[in-house]
Amino acid sequence: MTKRKYTVLFLLFCFQLFAQSNDSLNVNFKVVFDRFPLELNKRYVSTKKDTITVTAFKCYVSDLEIQFADKTVFKEKNSHHLLDLANPSSLQIPITKNSDKIISKVTFNIGIDSTTNTSGALGGDLDPIQGMYWAWQSGYVNMKIEGQSPSCKTRKNQFEFHLGGYLQPYNAMRKKVININNKSDISISIDVSVFFAEVTLATTNSVMIPGKIAMELADLSSKMFYSE
Amino acid sequence: MKRAILILGFGGVVFGILAFSKSYFTPLYFEVPKSWPQPEYDFKKNPLSEEKFQLGRHLFYDPILSRDNSISCSSCHAQATGFTHVDHDLSHGIEGKKGTRNSLALINLAWNKDFHWDGGVNNLEVQPINPITNPVEMDEKLEHVVAKLQQSSKYRNLFAKAYGDEKVTSQRLLKALAQFTVSLKSTNSKYDQVMRGETSFDAQEQNGYVLFKKHCASCHTEPLFNSDKFERNGLAVDTALNDLGRIKITGRKEDHLRFKIPTLRNIQFTKPYMHDGRFKTLNEVIKHYNSLGHDKSLPKELAKPMNLSDNERVDMEVFLNTLTDKTFLFNPRFQFPRE
Repeated sequence: MTKRKYTVLFLLFCFQLFAQSNDSLNVNFKVVFDRFPLELNKRYVSTKKDTITVTAFKCYVSDLEIQFADKTVFKEKNSHHLLDLANPSSLQIPITKNSDKIISKVTFNIGIDSTTNTSGALGGDLDPIQGMYWAWQSGYVNMKIEGQSPSCKTRKNQFEFHLGGYLQPYNAMRKKVININNKSDISISIDVSVFFAEVTLATTNSVMIPGKIAMELADLSSKMFYSE
Repeated sequence: MKRAILILGFGGVVFGILAFSKSYFTPLYFEVPKSWPQPEYDFKKNPLSEEKFQLGRHLFYDPILSRDNSISCSSCHAQATGFTHVDHDLSHGIEGKKGTRNSLALINLAWNKDFHWDGGVNNLEVQPINPITNPVEMDEKLEHVVAKLQQSSKYRNLFAKAYGDEKVTSQRLLKALAQFTVSLKSTNSKYDQVMRGETSFDAQEQNGYVLFKKHCASCHTEPLFNSDKFERNGLAVDTALNDLGRIKITGRKEDHLRFKIPTLRNIQFTKPYMHDGRFKTLNEVIKHYNSLGHDKSLPKELAKPMNLSDNERVDMEVFLNTLTDKTFLFNPRFQFPRE
């Protein structure tokens, strides 16, 4: 009995130490290509045998929520994060204080909700200067994937996917729920190879408006996110 | 106990700073005329102040917003003509390049839900991103504008007055511009004076008003003389421009050739008319609507012929002239800011 007590005390002590050394809980995103870290301007080959170079990868993650095993929920306020592969610090999001509670789920939206999309001029990660805003048809781009592939018979073999749109029936935001089972930082992979495994680049290589194709690709973008 | 006193003391200081900083700005009150609808614009998210209004006014008249410092908002939106581009069917921007549409009048924007002829812009605050970045208008980048303003001592000073510090951000810039444009309110035309019982229409104006209510007011609804809706109005597509209207935004078949129903206030001075400025005179506009009817592709409001006589068309135009508001067109607060 006492032995058990000591174990508990020891564990608590450890957690205390842990909390002191690292007092924020992070959600860390890792952009990968088939489980290898994705590097910009490097060549990859998709399962469709397309040779692909990605020159830009950006996306919004919003309304982050963490559910703990004890059924409590942490909701981040004003939760809008621009993940930009060219800016590694943007991929690590400290969201709350570390606790010793077991995390069971993390939920978030890929993209920006319709209320935020109609809220006028915003700042920070939502500043239109971030290059993720459409002017002529107000609204945020939820995900941007740009690059080159010889499979695209376009100018400079470029492909451009700007996925967005908030007006029904073409609301391209996607909700994602990821099951977790640990206490510390959450690691989520965004696998770009999942996207290129299903897109036929010869015919679909430039999507820059809301609509049916953007909706299909948004479904696909949601499959890119998984827990490590 | 000591701790509690400390917290209280600290709270007091914070409150003092907040109270002081608040009194630093001069609040403005946006008056809504009696019996008018509530504005669409959310003033709570951008409370009006004299300092922000003045900053917005300077920005509105300053070509610093364009790539080569040649074009300002007022280039296509001049006050004396209801803040539109008079005598140009299609507006021209940087290096004389031409766009595809007639610039809209900036009148009573606080009551507008959507902006642009196709309603593609959903909030007044984000509208300026369009002319600033459009290659045939100002052809500039928003981040360049922010950098140029940050380098200008005049604007550092104006931003400090408006926001309490010199930092320039796109959000502050856009919100200040919106403070100016949302304040462009026209509520004192002869029509308004008649409605307030201060004067009355003459016989011709009165007859025109009756005809207007019968034939036009279902879309150009009083007292704003516009509507949130988008409609077809029987104009043939200009094949050089091939502008299909709202369908470009919504992708919906029913929005084919639908355009914004703009306000008719100050219409006497906002010529030329229609989305592509194809009519130079109001007479031509009225003639166009008088020529419609018996066409299934038209909305029900236009499906029945108006059959106006020549005299009635004149009366209609005489009534439309009562929507002219000289106190708005010559309001010194809306003029180029002289330093």
